[in-house]
This record gives sequence, C-alpha cells and structure tokens, in this order.
Amino acid sequence: MNEAAPLPEAAVVAEKLTKRYGSLTAVEDLSFSVAPGEIVGFLGPNGAGKSTTMRILSGTMSGTSGRATIWGVSVALDPAGAKRHLAYMPENNPLPEDLRVEEYLTLRARLKDVEPARVDERVRKVMDDCDLTRRASGRLIGQLSKGFRQRVGIADALLAEPRVVILDEPTIGLDPHQILGIRDLIRSLRGKMAVLISSHILHEVEQVCDKVVIINRGRLVAQGRTEDLRRELLPEVSFTLVTRSDEAALLVACRAIEPRATVVALPSAAGWSAFRISLPTGSPARETLAGALIAAGISLREIAEDRFGLEDIFLAATRRSPGESRRS
Amino acid sequence: MRHFRTLLAHELRSAALSWNTWAAGGLFLALMGGIHFFALIEASRAPGDRTPVESTLWFFWLPLLCVLPLLTMRTFAEERRSGTLAALLTTPASATAVVWAKFLSTWIVWVVFWLLFTVFPLLTVQRLGTPGDTRLGDPAILWGGLCFIAVSGLLHVAIGILCSCVTRSSALAALLAFICLLAMTAAGGAMESLPIESWEWLGWLREPAAHLRTFGHLQDFAAGILDSRPIVLYGTGTLLCLGLAVLSVEGQE
Repeated sequence: MNEAAPLPEAAVVAEKLTKRYGSLTAVEDLSFSVAPGEIVGFLGPNGAGKSTTMRILSGTMSGTSGRATIWGVSVALDPAGAKRHLAYMPENNPLPEDLRVEEYLTLRARLKDVEPARVDERVRKVMDDCDLTRRASGRLIGQLSKGFRQRVGIADALLAEPRVVILDEPTIGLDPHQILGIRDLIRSLRGKMAVLISSHILHEVEQVCDKVVIINRGRLVAQGRTEDLRRELLPEVSFTLVTRSDEAALLVACRAIEPRATVVALPSAAGWSAFRISLPTGSPARETLAGALIAAGISLREIAEDRFGLEDIFLAATRRSPGESRRS
Repeated sequence: MRHFRTLLAHELRSAALSWNTWAAGGLFLALMGGIHFFALIEASRAPGDRTPVESTLWFFWLPLLCVLPLLTMRTFAEERRSGTLAALLTTPASATAVVWAKFLSTWIVWVVFWLLFTVFPLLTVQRLGTPGDTRLGDPAILWGGLCFIAVSGLLHVAIGILCSCVTRSSALAALLAFICLLAMTAAGGAMESLPIESWEWLGWLREPAAHLRTFGHLQDFAAGILDSRPIVLYGTGTLLCLGLAVLSVEGQE
C-alpha cells in the first residue's frame, strides 16, 4: 500500500447522491462516509438502492447529482484515480469462466497497477489469504463452487491492497462454514482498509462491522454504531419473565416501579405464565426490577433482559419514514 | 489507453484458446479451400480472364459475411451478458483501451485466417506450377488482394465490434454484423447500378457511390493501384465505429 499520500478524513464520502431513471428515483440525497480502516455495513431492504449506490461509488455508474469521493478523489472527475484506491466486488461477482484462478488474478493484478515485480507475490498472498492455493489455483473458474467463486472475487478485491473495498453481498449463497471464513477474512481487514459491505445477513454485519448505514427507498434512514442506533431507534428495554402471578398483579407491581411500564402476555407452559415487560430506556436494571417484583409479592421463576439485535434496529429504521432519519 | 498491451495480450490469448475461434477458423479454411478448389477446376476446364487466385479472392465476401460475425459477436455481447465487462471497468483500465484491445485482437485473428488461406494457392503453385508461369496465381495479385482484406478488414471488424457493443445477445450481434457488412459490401454495387444520372435530386449520391464500390477497391489493390481514398474511407469508418463503441461501453449502466 502506498503510504506517501496524506490520510484523508474519510475514505469514502457520499454527499447528496441522487440517481434517477426517468421518473423513478433509485437513490435520493444520500449522504454518509466511511473512515479509513473502518468496516461499515450498508443495509436496506431489496430495491432500497444499495447496489446502485455501490455502483456509483465504484464508478461503474454515474449519479444524476451529488458527489462521491474515494480516498479524497472525485469518482466523477477522476474515475481512473478513484479506481486506483478502490476495489469493488459486484453483487453477482461476475468472473470469466474460461480462465484459471491464478491466470485471472495475475491479469487483474496487472490491470490494477500492481508493480510488475510484485504481481506473482501478491497473487500468491491473496490466494493464501482466501484459501485458494491448495484447492483452486489451477482450476478453471467455471468449475468452481459458489463459495470458491466468492473467494476469488474477494481475492481480486484485495490484490492491489486498495484503500477502500466495496463488497456487495459477499456471503450470498455460501454455506455456514464459508460464511465464517469470509467473515474472518473481512474482520482481518479492520484498520488496514476501509470496507463498505452490503449484506442481508444482519447477524454477520453486526459481528463484523464498526458502523451501519441503513437506507430505505433510496434515502438514508439511519447511520451510526449499533449501540447508538439501538438507543435512538429502540427507546425501550424489555424483559421476559416467567411467573405464577397473573397479568393484573404483575402490571400493578411494574407500574409501582415505572408508571410507563407495559406488560404483554406470551405463550406459556402449563402452570406458569410468561410475560414481556417493556420499560423506557434508563429504567431499573434487571436485578433491581427482579428485587422490586419479589418485594411486591410476585413469584418469579426466571427473568431475562431481551437483547435487541441489528435485526430489530433494521426493522425499526426501515419502518420509519426517510424524513425522520438523523445522524448518530 | 492505459493497460492496452495487457488487455491485447489477454485478448489474443483468449482468442487462441477459444473454441469459437477454432470453429470460425475451420469454417473459414473450409470455405476458402472449397472455393479455391472449384476455381482451379474451373480454370482447368476453360481458362478465363481471371486466374484461380483472383477468382477465389473475388469471393472474399463469403467469409466476410459468414465467418467475421462469428469472431466479433462475442467480444462485447457475451461480456455484457455475463457482467464481466462491468467488472473489467472497475479497474483503472479505460473503455478505450478495452475496445481497442478487442478490436485489434479480432483484426489480427482475421488477418491470420487470410494468411493461412495463402497456403492453398502457394501449395498449388509449388506442386502444379512451373517457374515464371503465373496462370495458377500471380503472387502480386495474391498479396495485393490480401492488403485489401487487411485494410478493409479494419472497418469490417470495427463494424462487428460496434454491433457486439449494442446488445447482450451474441446471436443478435452476429445477425446485426451480418446485415451491416452485407449492406456495406453491396451498397457500392447497388448504388452504381441505380440510374442516378436520371434522377437529378439524387445527383449528390454519385460521388459517395463511387467511393463505396468495395469490389472496385479489391480490383485496385490486386492490380497494385494505391489510391488513398479507400484507405481514408476505411480508416475514418474504423475510427467512427470504434468511437461509437467506446461511447456505448462507457454509457452502459
């Protein structure tokens, strides 16, 4: 990686990006940034405009308006310059069927301005990193399984040690073992490259990414760290508890602790009742709540705090209208 | 034109390993070998104005219409269909370099096909001819004709490349190229046969029609007449087609 250039504030900047196809607006006024070395998840329902945004950022499609920069270089004004800092793996990862893995990566290395003397070394390195050397290096790409094809796509993305890597659905169609491998590989890029990754596997994104950007109908609905978004979008804590007490008694006991508490009955086993108690953020912790309920005469069998995952954040973010979005 | 040489080397290598090239080459040699064989038979029955080599070259339009579209059809259409063209354009390689590399590699393959064809007349002369006797084929005519094929081939290949750029279907690209090359080859002759002189409002067509006579160009080249007009026509036509092809590749979204 060339270290001579000064480090920009943001590796990727999308500023008021808009893309229209006639009367259809695919992306509208979309602004976000990715810091150097940061891994950012780019989320949204199908048709939200994720791939369109990624294609604009990668220079394979021009935006209708707005500004996109990669490592401080404008994608529109200097596409070749921007591409020198960028590697992009499109959604369906198109690869030539009639080339061998090693031949393909060698060609791509040459096209990506890898120094001629380092081409072989870089090809070997990425093939090792992506576990291609032993099982796929001499095989035709057309004969590879989906998992290995994805690995070839990622190896290609890492070849020229770019500053920015954009991966559109890199784990789509992979089995759990392969997903784990790709996840570890992406995680290993933290601090070395800025990674913008779109995926429908929210658990994956939560595990790997420092930050998420969520868009819906082409517009930004939320961006920030998962914890911040959880606080912003899910302003409640909830607990699931199993008890012999009835709903009315439980509600009275909860309201004594927090007047805005709500209680919802859940399906339960014979003899025991299960409930979900929702309290505003900042309410007593689980231990305090349990103590207060026992003191109020509620017989508890178990109590557990519900953990809201990225899935809940995603659903909450995509349910609200784009106008409600704000930066975290 | 960044990475032109890398791309050209890749395209030539791909062409050399492609079944499509070998099938097209086989078809080309079968066609031209057959034509030359029948030209020899015909010449042995009744010697005419033309030598067998001239008669064979006169049928250049047959491989042009049947074989060249097979070479050009997959250049861009297949890559657009599979998405590999978009992936290629995510590298710093420019669309211009991609188009010129594909164009030049296809043109080289086309010229190599014709060079392979020379084996037929050269072998015929070597095995059946006598020194100084040009009845089986005058080498000057053969090489002059091949120069025409090479120069006009620039435009013909560029047309095929442009046709492949505008569609994702290789079959449609081949059909488009066939129609365009047929129109291009026949246009001069057709316009010459029109009674343009009698239609005053079509008078302006007389000059362009004279320039488009493809078979006349072949005759001139074979006779060793070096006229700059067809060279300019084929050169500018090539640049126009390739320019449009670059715009088409850059504009694909």
